[in-house]
Amino acid sequence: MSSIPPDVASQTRPVGVQIDGVTKRFGDATALHEAWLKIGQGEFMTLLGPSGCGKTTLLNLIAGFLEADGGEIFVSGSLMTETPPYDREIGVVFQNYALFPHMSVAKNVGYGLRMRGVPKREIEQRVAEALALVKLAAFGDRKPRQLSGGQQQRVALARALVIRPKVLLLDEPFSALDKNLRGSMQVELKEIQRKLGVTTIFVTHDQSEALSMSDRIAVMSDGRIRQVGTPDEIYRRPLDPFVAAFVGDVNVLPARLERRLGDMATVALGEGRVQVRAETLDGLVPGAAVDLFVRPDAMRFADADGVLAGTVATHVYQGSHVDVLVDVPAARGGRVTVRVPGHEAPGRWPAGAHVSLDFAAGDAVAFASDAK
Amino acid sequence: MNKRPFLALFVTPAVLAALASAAALAAILQYAFRAYVPGSLDPGGFSLSNFEALLRPLYAQVFVQTVWICLLTAFITLVVAYPLAFALVRTRNVALKSFLLITAVTPLFLGEVVRTYSWIIVLGNTGFINSILMGLGLVERPVQMMFTTFGVVVALVHVTLPVMVIMLAAALSHIDVDYEKAATSLGAGPVKAFLTVTLPLSMPGVVAGVSTAFAWTFSAFATPQMIGGGRVSMISTLVYQLGFASFNFPFAAALSITGIALTFAVLAMAKQAIRPLEKIGAH
Amino acid sequence: MRRRLIPARIGERILKVAGWSVVALIVAFIILPAVVVAISAFNDRAILTFPPQSWSLRWFRRAFTYRDFAVGFQNGLIITAFASSIALVVGAGFAFAIDRYSFRGKRALEAMLTSPLVIPHFTIGLGFLILAAQVHATRTFALVIVCHVVLVLPFVMRSVYVSLRNLDGRLELAAASLGARPGMALWTVTLPLLIPGLFSGWLFAAILSFNEFTASLFVTAQATQTLPVAMYNYVREYADPTLAALSVIYIVVTAGLLTLANQFLGLGKVLNVEHAR
Repeated sequence: MSSIPPDVASQTRPVGVQIDGVTKRFGDATALHEAWLKIGQGEFMTLLGPSGCGKTTLLNLIAGFLEADGGEIFVSGSLMTETPPYDREIGVVFQNYALFPHMSVAKNVGYGLRMRGVPKREIEQRVAEALALVKLAAFGDRKPRQLSGGQQQRVALARALVIRPKVLLLDEPFSALDKNLRGSMQVELKEIQRKLGVTTIFVTHDQSEALSMSDRIAVMSDGRIRQVGTPDEIYRRPLDPFVAAFVGDVNVLPARLERRLGDMATVALGEGRVQVRAETLDGLVPGAAVDLFVRPDAMRFADADGVLAGTVATHVYQGSHVDVLVDVPAARGGRVTVRVPGHEAPGRWPAGAHVSLDFAAGDAVAFASDAK
Repeated sequence: MNKRPFLALFVTPAVLAALASAAALAAILQYAFRAYVPGSLDPGGFSLSNFEALLRPLYAQVFVQTVWICLLTAFITLVVAYPLAFALVRTRNVALKSFLLITAVTPLFLGEVVRTYSWIIVLGNTGFINSILMGLGLVERPVQMMFTTFGVVVALVHVTLPVMVIMLAAALSHIDVDYEKAATSLGAGPVKAFLTVTLPLSMPGVVAGVSTAFAWTFSAFATPQMIGGGRVSMISTLVYQLGFASFNFPFAAALSITGIALTFAVLAMAKQAIRPLEKIGAH
Repeated sequence: MRRRLIPARIGERILKVAGWSVVALIVAFIILPAVVVAISAFNDRAILTFPPQSWSLRWFRRAFTYRDFAVGFQNGLIITAFASSIALVVGAGFAFAIDRYSFRGKRALEAMLTSPLVIPHFTIGLGFLILAAQVHATRTFALVIVCHVVLVLPFVMRSVYVSLRNLDGRLELAAASLGARPGMALWTVTLPLLIPGLFSGWLFAAILSFNEFTASLFVTAQATQTLPVAMYNYVREYADPTLAALSVIYIVVTAGLLTLANQFLGLGKVLNVEHAR
C-alpha cells in the first residue's frame, strides 16, 4: 500500500466534493473508470493529464453537463448525481469563457442572480462587488467582444463567483492567453480563491500550471486517476511511471532490483548501487528489471567515480539554467539530461568531454520495467 | 433531467409538414396507376397503360431531350460559375466581394418568370442581340434564337448559375489557401498549383453543384415553356400540357413519377462519384 | 535568378488580368438581361425594339394599374406572409431538433422535408392539385400556402441550422450552470443569438414564396393567382413592355433587400460561402 494517504488534506477539513466510484462511458469507450476523490472545503484541486485522459469528462460530470453511468457525486454532503446543472449551485469558467455575446459585462455577471430572482437592487450591488473583485469595476457597460482575452477571463470568473457557488470549476481557463498574461492571471486567481475560500477544481494539461497553483493535484491518464497528492509529492514521490514522466522532465535508467529491506530497496545500476524507496516496487522479486527515474535537476556531474559514464553531446540554454545533454549508452534512449545552473556549463563540460554522472540517494524512484 | 426538452414541441410541426408533402407525392403515385377517362377529371381503375405510353417514341424522345438539356446546362453552368465562385472566395476587397455575392445571388430570388422574360427581350428576333447584329450589318435577317435548344440552354444556365456559385463557393471557402501556397513553394506555378491542389480539393463541391444544377434544370418550367415556345419540349412542359390542355392527370402523374426516379438516379450516381472525392477533401 | 524571376512575375500579371477579365465577362452575362429589361421598360413603343426610339414611363403606369397585377400582388403578400411565417416556425423548431437531439425517424423526416430541393416544382404542384381534387377541396389560399410552406421549408431549415452550428453550445451550458432552466436558457441565450439566422431564413422564405411560379401555376385558381402567375398570363396575351417595367421594379426591390440583408446579416455566412470567425 501507498505510504501517502491520498486524502491527507481532506482529513483536516470538511469534505467539499466527494466523487465515489464515478464511471462514464461514451459508446464502447470508457472515458472515466471508477474515479474516487475527496476534495476538502476551500481546497484548490487540480485535475492534471494529457488530452483525452478524462479530466474534462470528470469536470462535466461534477457540473452536471453529463450523467454518470455509475457512482455518486456529493457536494457539501448532499447527493448531486440526479440534480440538473441549474440546481447544483456550481460556478463554471469555460475554456473559451462562454460569455453571452449579446449581453453587456454587467448583464453577464448578473445573469445567475436574475435566474435566482434576486431583487434588482441587490443584483446591482453584488455585480458591482464581483466586478471590483476582478478589477473591472469600470467595464460593466461594455460588450464582451470589446474586451481583451484577459478581461473576458475575469468577467467569466466574476460571473461564476457572483452566485456564491459551493464549488468553482475551471476548464483550462488560461489556455487562450499568452504566456505573460497567463502568469499574472494565475497569481490573481489564486489570491481570489484564497480570499473567498471557495472549493475549486481546476482542469489543465499544463504541469507547471498545476504545480504552481494547486493545494493538491490528481494526475489522470486513460480515464483513471493515477495519483493524488500535493505538488511536492507528485513531483518528488511519483507512485506511477506515467506520473513521473508526465510531471516534469525525467531520465530513465534501466536497472535491476537487488534486495529489499523494510521501506528501502537496493537497485543495481551497472557497477553502482542505488538506494530507493520500496513502496513503488510491490510484488517484485530480487533480480527483476526496474526503471530508475531521475529528474534532470537531481543529476549531477561526479569527479570520476559516478554511477554513469557518458560523453557530452550538446547544451540547451534555458536562461536561468542550462540543460547539458549527455550521451549515456546505459540510459533509456541513450541520452541523459543534466540540469545545471548558470551559463558557465558549456565551458566546464564542453561537447565531446567524457564525464561521470551521479545523483543523490533520495532523488531516484524505481518502477517495474515496462520494457521486455 | 430530461435530456430532450421541447422535442415533441419542435418536431410535431415538422411531422405535419412532412405528412403534407408525403400526401402530395402519394396522390401522384396513386394517379400514375389509374386509367385516363377522356372528358372526365376523375381517373378510372388500376392500369399500367400510362407507363406503357412512356415508351412511345414521342415521349421517349422528350425524355432524351430533357436529359440532354439538363446535362448541357449543368456543365456549361459549372464552367461559367467556377471562375466567379473562385473570385468571390479569394478576393480580399470587401466591396468587390459584396458586389460579386449580390450579383451572383440576386437572380436566384427573382423567380423564373422575370428572368425568362428578360431573356426573351435579349434573344428575340427584334431583341437586343439581333438589333445589334443587324445594326452593325453583321447579319441580314435575325438569327433565330427563340424557340431553339440554344436559347433555352442559355436562359437555363442563367437560372442555374446562382445555386452553382453558392455550392462551389462553399466548397472553395473550406479549402485553406495555404495548400496552394505550399504547392507554389514546392515549385508549382499558379496554374499548376490550382490544377493539382485546389481543383481536386473542390471536386466534392463540383459534383454537388452539377447534380443540383441537373435537378434544378429538370424542374425548370417557365424557361422551356416561354423560350422553347412548344418547339423545345421538356418533361415539365409536357406534364403541364397533359394536365391543363387535355386534363390527362394520370399520364402527367406517371411522367412526374418517372421524372423523380430519373432525378434520384442521377443524384445517387453523383453521390457514388463523390464518395472517394470526399476522402481527398477531408482534413 | 533575377532574370528568371521577372518573366515569371509578368506571367502572373497576365494570368491575373485574364482571370479578372473572365470574371467581368461572367458578371456581364448575369447582368445583361437586367440591363436590357431596364432599357426596354422605358421604351415608348409597344413592340420590343433596340435601341428605343423614344422614352416614356407609360409601361410603369400600366404595370401599376393593370388589375391582375394588383390582385396578384395582394394575393402574393397574403400567401407569402402566412407561408414564410409558418415555414419559419416549423423549420426553426426542426433545425433545433436536428442539431440537438437524436430521435427515431430523424433521418427520414429530414429527407422528406428537404426533398423539395430535388423534386421538381411541377411535380409538387401537380401533387397538391391532385390531392385537393381527391378530397374535393377547391383551390383555396390554404392549398397554396401549404404548398409554399413545403417548398420554402428547406431554405429556412438550412439558414437556421447554419446559425445553430455557429452558436457555441457552451453558452447554454454556462446558462445552466448559472441556474437557468432549459426553457429559460433557450429564451434568454439561444433565441436572442439566433435572431439573425431566423430573420434571414424568414426573408429567404418570403422572397422565394413571393416569386414561386411553377408550383403556383398548378395550385392557384383565378381568385388566388399570385403575381408571377399573373405575369406569365400577361406575356401569353400581350407583347408590350409592361412586364419589363414590372421586372425592373422586381429587380430593384430584390437587389435592395439582399444588399440590406448582406449589410446587416452577412449573406456570405448565411449562405455558408464564408466562415464566421
